[in-house]
Amino acid sequence: MTQNNIPLKLYSAFREGIIIIAVALFIAVVFNSLRSNGIPLFGFSSAALIKEQQAKIPEITLSEAYNLYRKNKVIFIDARDPLSYADGHITRAINIYPDEASLHVSGLKIKADQGFIFITYCDGPQCHLNKETAHALLLRGIPNVKILVNGWILWLKAGYPISKGKK
Amino acid sequence: MKLGNSPRSVIPLFALICRLTLAIIFFYAGIEKIINPRNFTVAIYNYQLLPDCVINLLTIFLPWLEVIIAASLVSGINTRGASLLSAFIFLIFATALTINLVRGLDISCGCFGASSGNISWFYLVRDLSLFCMSFFVLIYDRGWRSFFS
Repeated sequence: MTQNNIPLKLYSAFREGIIIIAVALFIAVVFNSLRSNGIPLFGFSSAALIKEQQAKIPEITLSEAYNLYRKNKVIFIDARDPLSYADGHITRAINIYPDEASLHVSGLKIKADQGFIFITYCDGPQCHLNKETAHALLLRGIPNVKILVNGWILWLKAGYPISKGKK
Repeated sequence: MKLGNSPRSVIPLFALICRLTLAIIFFYAGIEKIINPRNFTVAIYNYQLLPDCVINLLTIFLPWLEVIIAASLVSGINTRGASLLSAFIFLIFATALTINLVRGLDISCGCFGASSGNISWFYLVRDLSLFCMSFFVLIYDRGWRSFFS
């Protein structure tokens, strides 16, 4: 194989590249039109996305949250980092840091269909992780997500059940 | 063509390894994005580089392009085209990453759908390495025939 072949290789590469693009475009458009959750080809609206991201997430009080916990109708979502979660968390809570929301969507959708409510919490009144995880879940179609502001401290002070250990 | 003093037989083998590695990466990245297009749409939007009118089109098209490139690289059909597109895609990704790293945006990479971390210089190095691998495949790969003939 000689260096003289390089222009020829590039020419055939361009030609093959166009074939691949055409095939991919065709399959992509057909697949998108056939799938149930297909999206419009040109319908993206950044305004709608921003509005969705800024939507206010309802808050829940500690007593309401505890009542739901006793009735086993709630899934607590600990939005803190895994180390804090391992040090102590609300019993039966799952650990979902905001970046990890997508990894849990399928499991949470099954729980949502069973009527569960999701409550995110973190540590301290200024903590934003609970809101970020809640937003991330809402954006991915998880309904009934609420926030327990300063949840961990309130729960701990109330002496409600906690657990320790990794997820 | 010789590459330094490397034995002649090593070059096609290395090109094959690069080709299959790229195929695995593209296949995984493409499938993740096809399964969850919503995440990818948000990731593209967060880069703040493209007008709204092309974001959905790219969300639909790019994952399938990645999958078809992966299929071409594995099968050895249109390998040159696939490696050229691969190099082009990684160059575009690297440019987009650089712009947003310089801007200081703390956004999700979106490289592998849901399991992507936030952008960092590491991702830029990774993309540039993959760009070099793609270019190597483009120049040196001889397809499956060279191993069976």
